[in-house]
Amino acid sequence: MATPLHSSSPSVARQAPVAAWRRARSDQVLVMVLLLAIWQGLSLAFGTYWIGSPWGVTTRLVSGVANGDIPRHASYTLLEATAGFLIGALPAVALPFALRRLPILTAILDPFMMGGYGAPKLALAPLFILWFGIGIESKIALVAITVFFIVYFSAQAGVRALDARLVQMAQVMGANERDVARHIILPGAVAYIFTGFRIAMPYSIGGAVIAELISANRGLGYLIQLGAMNFDTTAVFVALTATTGIVFLGNWTLDVLERRLLRWRPRTNLDIEAGS
Amino acid sequence: MTNPEERLAMPKVAPIRSGQYAIIAGRIGLAVALLGAWKLGADTAGPLYVADPGMVLQRIISDTLSGSLVRHVYVTLRLSAMGFAVGCAFGVALPFLLRRMPRLTNAVEPYILASVGVPKYALVPLFILWFGIDDAPKLWLVGLLVFYPIFIAVFAGIRNVDRRLISMARVLGASEAAISREVIWNSLLPFFFAALKIALPRAVSAAIIGEFLVGNEGLGYMIEYSRQNLDTTGVFAGILVATALVLAINALLLRFDHRLNAWRPVDRHMEL
Amino acid sequence: MAGAPVLEVRGLSKRFADRAGREPASWVIKDLSFAVDEGEFLTIIGPSGSGKTTLLNVLAQIETASAGELFFQSRTTPVDDAKSLKPGLSCRIGYVTQEDNLLPWRTTLQNVLFPLLVQRRLDSETRARAQSLIRAVGLSGFENHYPHELSGGMRKRASLIRTLVYDPPVILMDEPFGALDAQTRAQLQEDLLRLWSLGRKTIVFVTHDIAEAIALGDRTLVLSRSPATLAGEHTNPIPRPRDIRGIMTHPQFAALYQRIRGEVQ
Repeated sequence: MATPLHSSSPSVARQAPVAAWRRARSDQVLVMVLLLAIWQGLSLAFGTYWIGSPWGVTTRLVSGVANGDIPRHASYTLLEATAGFLIGALPAVALPFALRRLPILTAILDPFMMGGYGAPKLALAPLFILWFGIGIESKIALVAITVFFIVYFSAQAGVRALDARLVQMAQVMGANERDVARHIILPGAVAYIFTGFRIAMPYSIGGAVIAELISANRGLGYLIQLGAMNFDTTAVFVALTATTGIVFLGNWTLDVLERRLLRWRPRTNLDIEAGS
Repeated sequence: MTNPEERLAMPKVAPIRSGQYAIIAGRIGLAVALLGAWKLGADTAGPLYVADPGMVLQRIISDTLSGSLVRHVYVTLRLSAMGFAVGCAFGVALPFLLRRMPRLTNAVEPYILASVGVPKYALVPLFILWFGIDDAPKLWLVGLLVFYPIFIAVFAGIRNVDRRLISMARVLGASEAAISREVIWNSLLPFFFAALKIALPRAVSAAIIGEFLVGNEGLGYMIEYSRQNLDTTGVFAGILVATALVLAINALLLRFDHRLNAWRPVDRHMEL
Repeated sequence: MAGAPVLEVRGLSKRFADRAGREPASWVIKDLSFAVDEGEFLTIIGPSGSGKTTLLNVLAQIETASAGELFFQSRTTPVDDAKSLKPGLSCRIGYVTQEDNLLPWRTTLQNVLFPLLVQRRLDSETRARAQSLIRAVGLSGFENHYPHELSGGMRKRASLIRTLVYDPPVILMDEPFGALDAQTRAQLQEDLLRLWSLGRKTIVFVTHDIAEAIALGDRTLVLSRSPATLAGEHTNPIPRPRDIRGIMTHPQFAALYQRIRGEVQ
C-alpha cells in the first residue's frame, strides 16, 4: 500500500516510476530488518522477562498454533466478535429501511441514537459482565451494542442518499414500494453500509478483547492477561500477534465481500492507489 | 491514508422544521418511556441486576457531596488530558517532520498502517508489565488511541494541501516554517478537527477503560470496583456519569465545529 | 390522424411553492394547451429554463400541476393532487429523461430488463425483445457491462431501449441526445426514427435544438420563455423518410427554421 508522497523536488518527480517504486520497496525491507534488529537488541538488553525475543515469539507462536491452543482461544474471540457483529449489524441495517417512510419517527429517535453513538459503549463492559457472567454472552452483548450504533448511522446515510430521480424513473416504469426498496434503495445503500462495516469491524474485535481482559477464562484477551500475570511477555506477544492476525483476517474478509458486492462501482483513484 | 472513521465522526441531525412539535413531544415521550422502563426493570429484575433510578441518583449526589465522585472524575479527566496532549503533540508533529523526508515516509508507511490493526486496548496488560501500576500504562493507552486518528488526519491533510498555494507562498518569499504555519496548517485544519472529534471523546473513554484494568482511582476504577463488590448502584452511577461526561465533550466539540468551519465553502467531511 | 388525440393538455399551469411555503414563486408554465395525435412525432422547442422538463414531468405524472387538465386517451387524469399521481400512468407513458438514470449496480442487459422485471412481464419473449433492441442500437457485446464502463452515448442508447422494451404507447423524451457529440447524436436520431416508424408510437420530444426538432418531428411546438406558454405551432412539411444528416439541405428547411427561430426568444 505504498503511495509515494509527492515531493516538490523536480528530480524525484522526473524519476521513472518503476525505479522509485523499487527503491521504496527496498527501503521498506530495510526498515523491516532494522525493526527486527532493534527488537532483538532490546530483548537481549533487557532480557526476555521484559521483551520476548523475535525468535522466541515465533517459535512459541508456531507451537501454540500446532498444538491447537492459539486456534482454540482465537476462535473463541472470533466467535464473540462475529456473533456480536451480526446481532448488532442486522437490526442496525434493517431499522433505517423500516423507518424510511416514517420521517417523524426517525426524527424522534435521532437524538437518542446520537446519544447512543456518542456514549462510550465499552464502558458498559463491567455492567454486561455483571449481568451475563464471564462467559461468552457478555462479550457478545458488548460487541453487539457497539456495532449497532456505528452501522445504524451508515445505513441511515445510505438510505437517505438515494437518488430521487432513480426512484422516479422506476416508478414511471411501474415499480411499487417493495420494488423501489429492493432494487433502488438497497443496492444504493450497500456501499454506505459497507463503510459502516469496515469501521465497526475493529471495534468488534477490540470490544471482545477488552471484555476478555476484564474478566474471562478463554479467548485471546484472556491469554494476554494470563501471560502478563505470569510475567511471560513471550506469551503476551504471541497472543497480541494472533489478535492482530484476526483483525487482518476481518479486513480481508470485508475486502473480498466488497469486491463481490460492489463490482459495479467505478474505481476511484483512491482504490487504485490502495491496490484493490 | 485516510481515516474512514472521520466520515462518521459526528452524524448530523436534521434541523427541526417549525411546526413539528410532534417530534419534540415524541422525544419527550420516548425519554419518559425509557425512564419508566428502567424503573420497571429495577422493580422486576431486582437490585442486583438493575439499580433503581432513584437510588442511582441518590448515590451520584451523595458521592458528589462527599467529594469521592469529584475526585474520580478529576483523576479520569486529568489522565485523559495528559494522554491527549502527548498523543496529539506527536500526532501533529510527526507528519510535519515526515513532510521533509519523503523517502523515510515511504519506507515506514506500510508499518504505520499495519500497526493501526493492532487493538491498542490489548496492549494494556503489556504496558502494566512494563510501566507499573500507576498512571503510566493508562497514559500510554490514551496517548496511542489519540495519536493514531490525529496522525492519519494530519498526514492526509498535509498531502491534500493545494500545491499551488505552497508555490505561491514560496514565490512571495515565505520561509519553510512560515509556509508550514500559514498555508499547510490552515488547509489541514478541517482534517485535524474531524480527527479531534474522534480523539477527544476517545481520550476520556480510553482513560476509563484503562482504569478498568489498573489503578485505584478514576471513573473506570469506580465502575469496576463497584462491579466486583456487586454494587450495581455504583456501577450504574459510574456509567451514567461517564456517559454524561463523554456526551458533554461531544456537544462542546459540535459547538466549536460550527464556529470553526464557517469559512469553508465546501463541506470536506469525507463522504462516500 | 383521425380520432381523438391520445394526449391532451388544456390550460396547464404550474408554479413551484416557495421553499418556506410562503409567497409562491412565479409561474413556470402558464395556460398551456396542446394535443398530441396517436402515432405522431411531436417536437417541443423552447429556450433553456422554459419549463420543458417540468412539462414532461407533469405529463409523466411525477409532478403535480397547479391548474389545468390532462387527458390521456380521452380520459381525464387529475393533475393537482400529489397523492393521486400515477407515475407513468400504469406504464402507458414512457419517459426517457435527460440523464440516463441507469441503475449503476445493474449491467446493461439487467437495466434494459428492469422495467419488465418490475412489471412482472419477464419471460422468454420479452427477453428476446430486449436482446433485439440491444442489437438494434449497436450495444451487442456490452450486455454484461456496468454503466460506468460504458460511454455517454452508449448509456443514452441503453436508457432509450430500456423505455422501448416495454412498449408504452406514448413516449416522452427530454433532450435525450443533448449531451452527445454530433456524430453519435445523428446516429441515434436515425435509430430513433427507424424504431418509431416500425412501431408508430406517439413520441413527445423536447429539445432546444431547432434543427433536431425539424429533422425529427411531424409537428413542432414552440414554448415561450418562462412562464412557458404556446408561442407557436408548426406543421413540418418535409416528407418522410427524411435524411437526418442532410436535413439542412432540404429546400423547405430554411424557411421553417427561420419561422421557428423567430418565435424562440
